[in-house]
Amino acid sequence: MSAQKDCEFLVKKARELVSVDSCAAKAWLITARTLYPTDFNIQYEMYTIERNAERTAPAGRLLYDMFINFPDQPIVWREIGVITAALRSDSQDKHAQFLRGLFETLPGRVQCEMLLKATEQCFNTLEKAEMLLLLLKRFPESVVQHGLSLGETLLDAEASENVDTPVNCFRKLFVCDVLPLIINNMDIRLPASLMQKYILKAAEFYIGYVTRGPSADGQLQGSQDSGNLKSPSMSRGSQRYVIDGLSEKSSLVADPWERLLELLAVVGVRCEWQGDKGQRSFVDMLQRMKELCRYLPGLDGETRSRYCSQVVICGALTLFRSAFLYVSAVQPALFQGHGASSGPWILVEDLSSVYSDVDLDKGPVKHAQKKRKQADGREKTMSSDDEEGLGKGRGRHILVSKTEMPNWSETLEGFRAARESWDLLHSHDALEAEFKKICASWKTDSWLWFRIFLTDMIVFQGQYRKALSSLHQMSAVQQHQPGQQSPSGQGSLEHHRVLIQQASCHYALGEYRIFMVFDWIWMQTSTVPQEPVFFFSLLPGNDLRLLPCTNKAVLPFCFQLMLACFKLRAFADNRDDLSLGHVVVLLQYDWPQGEMLFLKSVDKIYHQGSFQYENFFNYVTNIDMLEEFAYLRTPEGGRIQLELLPNQGMLIKHHTVTRGITKGVKEDFRLAMERQVSRCGENLLSVLHRFCINEKIIIIQSLP
Amino acid sequence: MGDIRQSLLPRDVLSAAKELLYHLDIYICNLVQSGRQPPQVDSKTLDLIEEFILHAPKDRNAPARRMSALQELQLLEIMCSCFQEQSRDTVRQLMFSALFGLQGNAADESRMALLGKLVSMAVAMGRVPILECAATWLQRTHRVYCVRLAQVLVDDYCSMVPGSVPTLQNIHSASPRFCCQFITAVTTLYDLTTEELTPPIELLQMIVSWIQEDPRLVLITFLNTPLTGSQPINSLDVTPLGGLVRWCVKAPLAYKTDKKQTPTHERSENVPEVGPLFSTLHLSVLQVLMLLPNILNEKGLFGRMGLLQLDSLAALTSELSRLLDQADKHAHASDAHAAPQLALDRLAQALQVAKANGALLCSRGRNLEAVLFLFRPSRLGKVESKIKTVKMRKMLVKHASKLYPHFCIISVFSRINYFDFHSSNNVLLIHKLLEHCKQLVFLLLLNKSVC
Repeated sequence: MSAQKDCEFLVKKARELVSVDSCAAKAWLITARTLYPTDFNIQYEMYTIERNAERTAPAGRLLYDMFINFPDQPIVWREIGVITAALRSDSQDKHAQFLRGLFETLPGRVQCEMLLKATEQCFNTLEKAEMLLLLLKRFPESVVQHGLSLGETLLDAEASENVDTPVNCFRKLFVCDVLPLIINNMDIRLPASLMQKYILKAAEFYIGYVTRGPSADGQLQGSQDSGNLKSPSMSRGSQRYVIDGLSEKSSLVADPWERLLELLAVVGVRCEWQGDKGQRSFVDMLQRMKELCRYLPGLDGETRSRYCSQVVICGALTLFRSAFLYVSAVQPALFQGHGASSGPWILVEDLSSVYSDVDLDKGPVKHAQKKRKQADGREKTMSSDDEEGLGKGRGRHILVSKTEMPNWSETLEGFRAARESWDLLHSHDALEAEFKKICASWKTDSWLWFRIFLTDMIVFQGQYRKALSSLHQMSAVQQHQPGQQSPSGQGSLEHHRVLIQQASCHYALGEYRIFMVFDWIWMQTSTVPQEPVFFFSLLPGNDLRLLPCTNKAVLPFCFQLMLACFKLRAFADNRDDLSLGHVVVLLQYDWPQGEMLFLKSVDKIYHQGSFQYENFFNYVTNIDMLEEFAYLRTPEGGRIQLELLPNQGMLIKHHTVTRGITKGVKEDFRLAMERQVSRCGENLLSVLHRFCINEKIIIIQSLP
Repeated sequence: MGDIRQSLLPRDVLSAAKELLYHLDIYICNLVQSGRQPPQVDSKTLDLIEEFILHAPKDRNAPARRMSALQELQLLEIMCSCFQEQSRDTVRQLMFSALFGLQGNAADESRMALLGKLVSMAVAMGRVPILECAATWLQRTHRVYCVRLAQVLVDDYCSMVPGSVPTLQNIHSASPRFCCQFITAVTTLYDLTTEELTPPIELLQMIVSWIQEDPRLVLITFLNTPLTGSQPINSLDVTPLGGLVRWCVKAPLAYKTDKKQTPTHERSENVPEVGPLFSTLHLSVLQVLMLLPNILNEKGLFGRMGLLQLDSLAALTSELSRLLDQADKHAHASDAHAAPQLALDRLAQALQVAKANGALLCSRGRNLEAVLFLFRPSRLGKVESKIKTVKMRKMLVKHASKLYPHFCIISVFSRINYFDFHSSNNVLLIHKLLEHCKQLVFLLLLNKSVC
């Protein structure tokens, strides 16, 4: 009893002295310790002094003593709890660093024991896992004993906590921290099926991580340093992104694709995959899978199934990786938010040949119509990935402006590799079945980015009907995307992209229901985006094109699209002045590209002997065209009857009753021409834009 | 070797000394090679050294040969390089003791003078071999001479040339053995009895920093000394621990008086407070003591060899009682009790820790709880009746003095102070008690065998 009080007295004395003379305080405690070696409070007080002074080595020695001599003291455990928390955290503050340094001074055996015991006292799964992970990382020999069970605990926790995304804290710990430890430890025996399960878990996580939408923070951050993003995956690091339950630092996964590739390499070695001496790159892998596929039909039994899983896993990863490369270039905003360096690109028919001669032009259109029939027939009888569709896809080229898309070759290469992977995965029933299982378990149907790739792939394959339904689905998915995913600006850009692509598909099907371009043009009046918008252009059987999708680029495409439609009627055997008039108006754009067509139009009018297009003076301001029309009226030009003024027909009738009829009409025409010449300087784009807006109804009605 | 005297005589002093050193080197080499045990330099050679190197007068009639200051410097330089170049440890040691081993004759004064200069030079030039030899010399020589050598170094480096302290500081890394012996010598030298025997602040700072940096430093000599058992009589302690304890215990009271003599504003200028230095030093001493059990166990000496000597501690207690007496007389200031208290605290702590770690061997009593019991002011404060207190105290003193003669003294001192602090009415009682203590001290000193 009295000894107890003496202890308390000495500790109290030391405590009083600490601030005045810490040496004296320590001297008292050393004395006290020699008197009462079994008293915990004395040692704890000594430790407290050193810890508060952040003197690593003495504090470590005292902690060690306490851990050895008083293993049952709750205070010791509280202290160890604080230290292990510091070990798990990535806080850079001085005290946390001190605590980590303190832990480092302890002998390895004690560290190990401390972590194990601390783990036992942990009730939160995540904390427990993090603690055990500290242990495994420091003491590789403990991996054999605890590695697998920790992995399974994490996967169980993920399942039982009902998390809705594979990018969650449990999966992150499992994939990034535990799995490499397990899989690289050759003392742990792992059945192939388990390893396949693990690699798929890892792949799902990494893909989910890479393709996650930009977070609210990330957008702010991204907009500041979006200047020179080299590749989409590079920019990941600059964005702040926090996985629920983890700190910012541990939420960060560096080089996800590379790490996935590393895991895959180890799994390959351990599963004795064919010809798999360490995966060098996804491109190599695709090549090898193609080779393996050739042997597949000749195999059976276990070998076959092993080959199958190898091809499916590697093929699927190549597919998603390549598709991601492609989509991140075509739709960067999907992953980078407003910080994206460029807007979306659209894969559409190439219409650059629209100005060429009618006779040449009719060919592709007819071809398209013929193909539509094929496509329709196919839809009834065959799956989307039939040989014919693939055959069509081959030999098509995608044209792209190299200045506007600097990483064009990677993008197109990604698109190609993704398509080839897809084809590979569908080249055998067994592969397809396996692949579908993966897709189902990952719910790839809900991946907007992957749908974008699939749609473009279908377009590339020339299956426009299917592409259209896919586009419908996509706009449905987009509308259901959470608000943060596509904020207003981004959402409308997305919408535009879909509209234009739909129009393009319809055109390619020969349906000419391209009215959706008017929706787009109409939308441009309210919000005129200055950002470039890009799209692919593709004409059946012809090359594809990748174009910037600004007003400057999309409007011309719309003009071309309309031109392509009206051209058919304008130069048909039946007379269609309205279509011909539209053609003339549209040909103004990019003058004199369409000079040949214009001359052909003039020729047609000349042969008709008359021409009626009341909107002429509203929308034709091209001086060459005006000159040509003025000439048509002259005796030399053939005295063609031109009714180009609104209600001119009525006027002519009226004038016939009175004298000097022609004189008045002539006068009106001359005045209109004169006025028109003064309008030649007007902005052609705005004239044509007005044309599309004002004449929308009449244009849609007159579409073929 | 005696026959070379004739060839040395005609030479000038410097070349004769050089020549002799040269021959001495050869002679000792041969001596070592001959394998005679123990190798001993004969008296004729020693005579030659005294005549041609130390220039001690051979007899009264002969004129003493003397060296000029420059010649002496040259000689020192030659000696320095001589030791530096000699690669064999044994030869170096033999040569050093031939030159500087005290013979108890008239030449010893010149010997000490030359040694002081040589060691000082070795410190300045970082001549490790000489420092190592000097460390051994400090182990074998009577403490009075050791203290003199230490005094030379302190004078040269701490007092004479300001700013040369860092040079001396380096001996810690150059020769830890020498450094350790130097500390022992210095703590023996400065016993804090007078102002002259108070260590210069630079020296104190240096020692504190050495020990703080490497507490094992003070044990180096102990660790490196083979346990032949027989220490030369009156040589320095094997560790400076006793001296350091004395410093720390006496410092609060010794510097207290010092403070009163000089006006406070002068002292505070540029000079750091000694209080924290001693506090740090005291802690370091305790920490060194804590290292002892392992070391002693390794050597199989635990419980068999005490590093602190009981008689020196007894001397310390008596000195302390004198200082406490003085302090009592000046006990007017408000914090008068603080310094004695600190001194007693430190003594009690040092004794307890030393005893617990096997540095102090007491034949009786296993722990000092009874002593520590008496340190508690609160417990005393609780006792209401004065008479009861006195009775209890007497009883305790009686009881304690039987069991722990040394410690009871301290405990009584400390009680007085606590008591003083708690009730100033008891001054008379305290004086009585003090008397009683003094008697006890005398008793103790007279009858050391009690322990």
